[in-house]
Amino acid sequence: MSFLNIDSVKNRTFDAIVVGSGISGGWAAKELTDKGLRTLVLERGRDVKHITDYPTTMMNPWEFEHLGQLPKAIKDANPIVSRCYAFNEDAAHFFVKDAEHPYVQEKPFDWIRGYQVGGKSLMWARGTQRWSEQDFDGPARDGFAVDWPIRYADLAPWYSHVEKFAGISGNRDGIPQLPDGEFLPPHEMSCVEKHFSEQTAKHYNNTRPIIIGRCAHLTKPQPIHYQQGRGQCQNRSLCQRGCPYGGYFSSNSSTLPWAQKSGKMTLQPDSVVHSIIFDEKKNKATGVRVIDAHTNQMTEYYAKIIFLNAATMNTNLILLNSKSHRFPTGFGNDNGLLGKYLAFHNFRTTISAEYEGFLDSTSEGIRPNSSYIPRFRNFFKQETDFLRGYAAGFGSTRMLDNDLSGIGEDLKTNLTAKKYGNWRVGSHMMGETIPKESNYVTLDSNLKDPWGIPQLKISVSYDDNDEKMIVDFHEQMTEMLTKAGFKNVKTHDVPSKAPGLDIHEMGGVRMGKDPKTSMLNKWNQFHNCKNVFVTDGACMTSTSTQNPSLTFMAITARAADHAVKELRKGNL
Amino acid sequence: MVKILPAYLYLYTQKLQINLILIMQRRSAIKNLTLAVGGLVSLPAWASRWTPDSIGKVSTSVVSEDNQMILAEIVETIIPETSTPGAKSLKVNQFIMRMVNDCYGEPVQSNFKKGLTLIDDLAKQSYGKAFTSCDAVQKADVFNKMRKSDDTSAKQFTNMLKNLTVQGYMNSEYVLVNLLNYNMAPGFYHGCVPIGK
Repeated sequence: MSFLNIDSVKNRTFDAIVVGSGISGGWAAKELTDKGLRTLVLERGRDVKHITDYPTTMMNPWEFEHLGQLPKAIKDANPIVSRCYAFNEDAAHFFVKDAEHPYVQEKPFDWIRGYQVGGKSLMWARGTQRWSEQDFDGPARDGFAVDWPIRYADLAPWYSHVEKFAGISGNRDGIPQLPDGEFLPPHEMSCVEKHFSEQTAKHYNNTRPIIIGRCAHLTKPQPIHYQQGRGQCQNRSLCQRGCPYGGYFSSNSSTLPWAQKSGKMTLQPDSVVHSIIFDEKKNKATGVRVIDAHTNQMTEYYAKIIFLNAATMNTNLILLNSKSHRFPTGFGNDNGLLGKYLAFHNFRTTISAEYEGFLDSTSEGIRPNSSYIPRFRNFFKQETDFLRGYAAGFGSTRMLDNDLSGIGEDLKTNLTAKKYGNWRVGSHMMGETIPKESNYVTLDSNLKDPWGIPQLKISVSYDDNDEKMIVDFHEQMTEMLTKAGFKNVKTHDVPSKAPGLDIHEMGGVRMGKDPKTSMLNKWNQFHNCKNVFVTDGACMTSTSTQNPSLTFMAITARAADHAVKELRKGNL
Repeated sequence: MVKILPAYLYLYTQKLQINLILIMQRRSAIKNLTLAVGGLVSLPAWASRWTPDSIGKVSTSVVSEDNQMILAEIVETIIPETSTPGAKSLKVNQFIMRMVNDCYGEPVQSNFKKGLTLIDDLAKQSYGKAFTSCDAVQKADVFNKMRKSDDTSAKQFTNMLKNLTVQGYMNSEYVLVNLLNYNMAPGFYHGCVPIGK
């Protein structure tokens, strides 16, 4: 590394560096620039500008060459990402193709990635449920992982902070499983979903609430949303293409343009972070090494504080690759726990059923959301032979059962006639998994990626607890649906479906109270290097059952606030 | 026999109200978008790029031009022209060609080719003329014979062709806009409304 002159170093020096521009990186950028810090945001992928770079967003179904399906050659070349539900003709350009960033699967793991400005916040499923007191209490109560160093009360004001800005639609349900937030008007539940909710309340003495999902959609934009240039959600449910209205929250529509407006942000795409630079004399990190994604040239950037928001797996990868005299096995890794205690959400199984009532009714329009069944198993106390529990999405649609058996004029008439059949409902399980030392990532000792960085080796699998939970989900949901009068209840489990497709991988750099058993303190700082913060999924001590992004946002805003206060006090 | 519509059709067969924000055409949609965000948006290049005809020519590598004539007649047999356009004039055959070329592997492609030859042979056997020279009743009869035959590859061919024809027809601009009131951006969801009025 040769420095041409002092100016060059000065131009590469900032108050803060944020690694990653996805859902948590966007929040770090916004919060740090709001507080006046000159912030460099490094993104390994290409730039994606809000609206301008959403090429498919206004395309009608008939304008897609294959009506949404991807050509066989693309699927064959990309077996991993092809298993992702959203990897279709309309959004394939936002997903990393298998060959672009190889990794090693010690056990099968479908690592789904979005390398671009905005990351996966462009294509996420937008579910935003708060964690409860019982979620933060979990590891301590049930004796797994380590105790969270924070509780619900620590995060509650930060949930409010991010909810108001992002725009979260939801109903104030007043249930302990999911504390209420700062909600825009909720979506409606269908008659059949309401029926299931009422019947389940009756049969289970109000212990199993079923509510409308909370989601990051502007159902009624507020002045703060108009200030971001965002408008009313138009109920298209084409979100994975990028939304020209800014109807759902993404870094591209919200936090990044906000940070840009401050004049304090430098957003640099095509910048693959290689490692963190540690200065032994100062006993802190001084910056990061960055590889230009196209030229493979390495450049150093410097800052007083560093936020790692590269998404769970890549944050682990960068840290494992940040080897120094002080940290020979990876950044901050004095206790040898870096990369360990990975966990995810078990999305392996679904259930479907039919309801023969409400035949004079249907739903109209489009809802980019579904109903939600918060965790009811082992919630207040342990009651089964497995730990923790599961939440579930729950949706319904009125089926059409036109006779399509023939050909010719009859078929043609029947195709566009509307002969309604039964209501059909479907539900997918979102199971909490237990972080274990045996679920880990490490670096491959031989294989390198196209930027010369060791490939990530992933070793994550289901365990007995997960299998028991699947059986219980089938039993309990079948019972609940049957009691509520549903027919034709069918369970579906695909044991070969590898972890990863939930796209909720978490951990590896967990928070905790004790430096011997955790990597980060309660402010997301490394116990042994206070000016480096990890606030993406990698910091998670346990997974709970809720869609994790809202919690990443809140944790990030809280940590950024602390970082700036500490910086001003001269502590960093 | 009662069949359930496949999942991909649900979205487009929702009964949609015509009031509220009616966005049928791209340009009005863009106008609406500009209103929604307070006129701050300058229109990107793709905003005027697409038209229904812009999808382009289809390769003839799998199916010869002659056989494409047969294909056009088959899709018209499955969904004929009545007071509204049939599958042929909606170019569903071109959609099928694209799907067969791009989305299926060699075994399915060769069975598809074989099927087109088979249906022509069957027409000659039954009526002493090429499939394309048969009248509508004869064509339907030949296609139905193949559907109901015990030959697996003939069955596979006719099933695939019927499914693709239905898919292409139901997602065509004509059907979605004129028959199903397709609205890309309904702007609402009502969970429970009475059927029919």
